[in-house]
Amino acid sequence: MSILVDQSTRTIVMGATGSEGTFWTEHMVNLGTHIIAAVTPGKEGEHVGDIPVYHSVHRALDASALGSRSAAGAPADTYAPADAAMLFVPPHFTKDAVFECLDAGIKLIVIVADGIPLHDALQIRAASRTEGALVVGGNTSGIISPGKAMLGMFPYWIERVYKPGRIGVMTRSGSLTNEVTAMVVRAGFGVSTLVGVGGDPVPGTRFAEILARFQEDSETDAVVMIGELGGTMEEEAAEMIASGAFSKPLIAFIGGRHAPKDKRMGHAGAIISGGKGSALDKMRALEEAGALTAERASQVGILLAETLKSRGQAVTSAKSARSPLSADSAPGASTRGSHNE
Amino acid sequence: MKLHEYQAKALFREFGIPAPQGELADTVEAAVNSAEHLGWPAALKAQVLRGGRGKAGLVKIVQTPEEACTAAQAIFASDWKVRKILVEQAIAHERELYVSFSADSRTGAHLLLASAEGGVEIEDLARTAPEKILKEHIDSIRGILPYQARTAAYDLGFAPSLAKGFASIIEKLYRLYVQKDCELAEINPLFVTLEGNFIAADAKISIDDNALFRHPEFEQDPADFDSDIAREAAAEGIPYLQFDGDISLMCAGAGLTTAVYDLVVDFGGTVANYLEFGGPNYRKSVRAMKLCIKNNPKVILIVTFGTIARADIMAEGIVEAIRCLRPDCPIVTCIRGTGEDKARETLLSAGLEPLTDTEEAVKKAVELAHIARSTATERPTPAAASKQGGQP
Repeated sequence: MSILVDQSTRTIVMGATGSEGTFWTEHMVNLGTHIIAAVTPGKEGEHVGDIPVYHSVHRALDASALGSRSAAGAPADTYAPADAAMLFVPPHFTKDAVFECLDAGIKLIVIVADGIPLHDALQIRAASRTEGALVVGGNTSGIISPGKAMLGMFPYWIERVYKPGRIGVMTRSGSLTNEVTAMVVRAGFGVSTLVGVGGDPVPGTRFAEILARFQEDSETDAVVMIGELGGTMEEEAAEMIASGAFSKPLIAFIGGRHAPKDKRMGHAGAIISGGKGSALDKMRALEEAGALTAERASQVGILLAETLKSRGQAVTSAKSARSPLSADSAPGASTRGSHNE
Repeated sequence: MKLHEYQAKALFREFGIPAPQGELADTVEAAVNSAEHLGWPAALKAQVLRGGRGKAGLVKIVQTPEEACTAAQAIFASDWKVRKILVEQAIAHERELYVSFSADSRTGAHLLLASAEGGVEIEDLARTAPEKILKEHIDSIRGILPYQARTAAYDLGFAPSLAKGFASIIEKLYRLYVQKDCELAEINPLFVTLEGNFIAADAKISIDDNALFRHPEFEQDPADFDSDIAREAAAEGIPYLQFDGDISLMCAGAGLTTAVYDLVVDFGGTVANYLEFGGPNYRKSVRAMKLCIKNNPKVILIVTFGTIARADIMAEGIVEAIRCLRPDCPIVTCIRGTGEDKARETLLSAGLEPLTDTEEAVKKAVELAHIARSTATERPTPAAASKQGGQP
């Protein structure tokens, strides 16, 4: 397993006909992503590789339904469901594309666009909550379950970064994620799923919502969180740990420990405002909740190895593991997650 | 993009929010004349984008031309680089209030904050007396409804006669906040005059940079940048922050550049500038290095781990930049990601040492900066530096 995406995730791609969209769509297919259709207004009838292009999401799903009806005799007025939409759409058109997907009932939407207007992002966040959908991004590299599927843009061919495994990764950054994930792999681990929530001030999906998925995933033993100054997402993750809603080991790396106040360093979301949201405050909150924090990327792998080793021993000696997952963990897995405090 | 108070107040008037009569002055003489013209007492307010101008003595109430002259001289002479003073009629008032709209990232709603106590830092008030701040979430899709503004006014304890006016201010400020794509629209303080009218004594507005394409009416004043280099970087679309240390950061990726900044400080170095040439800018190595060189750094530190920002292209760009610009400081490179093998070859063939570990690269840069400081007279050439870097 993994969270959010695997080989069975039926995906449509919006904006696949642009040069970047085409490049990454081919890579997504190459990795194993199940792409059923592409959508670019005005380009219906064209193809991206073997993928047919439609004018709209509605028409793409309708056509997919026709295809599956002829095979399975499905009712005439139903769409073939799409599980996910990958958006290679410019920031100014992103809100429109997201609402088109939400209106078609798609529950997982990934936005890579950098530069979505704030008020658009607020409406996207609000609508996704109402619809019970996860909108991941913007300003993210997307989601990858190494060896299975990818909704986004990752150099998955670099094996020292994107090796399959049992560590969940969630991040606000792109390039820093390559850096930190390389350390996870260097320490002998691999990644179950990596989710980039993005560097914007109003991400469509927050760390806490991803953490809840990792908690339920039997093939994720621990989570690495790559946060940074600004906002409250890391504090919300700390709250989840403190309340017991997340009980696997969490290693946090928070960028911007020395960032100047009231200056936006890096991502739009990375700003300390009103004396709140400094990297050190976040690290303190996480440590108090029981998470481990790394000051440097190189420490992430080391902390991971130490904690999984000690927790692994704890599992064998504990009288009752609270984990609902220990029963169905793969036999012989060397790095089993433990859920006892 | 932050607006100056005088710009924000012009918007207030456009949206029907009363603000004091005012004139903009760029000399002491003009300030005194404006005060004379508007009538005494007058308020002299430095137009700067940094917070804390009140505490710094850059807002003065003056009663006479002599006082105005002294105050204006002091304001222009301060080290805040004040270029403009807003001169206004000082308003007699009996109450100060607070009202603002901002984004609530957790829920995706707009957030109305209001308080019957104004003139204070809302964050301080939130810490010391949170019960005095009214918070109301406004659905970002539905927008504000009149009852929400009304309820806010009554909940803050206004009598019906004032509640109506206050609710009207809230609705107008909301309209401005939404129509102008604001990150923040704040009136602090909002005066209640002796006659029971509302007037915005101060105005803070920040426009969302990502929405500026919808608002050609806003243009960044070149004088508002931290440095000339920062202004040039902005014109190039290259994210840049000005510092005054030794090591020029030329990195790709916002998160990675921030992490490299942390490491430089951890290892005892100082940063000359933060520059990020990843994403759409990864073909701009020459322009990026040109900006870095203007700081006369002791070292240029290049760290990347790009996906879209291809390592091979960036390596070629860096070699090209060195060839064109001939920087007289050492260059440390740590370039990884898409196309990294080819990047490595490119750097090696140009006599640069391609490091692969970020911490090692930062340590090397800090070390070279220290060496350059201690032997300030003989600066190593890039080629010599890379040879030096080649030693274990």
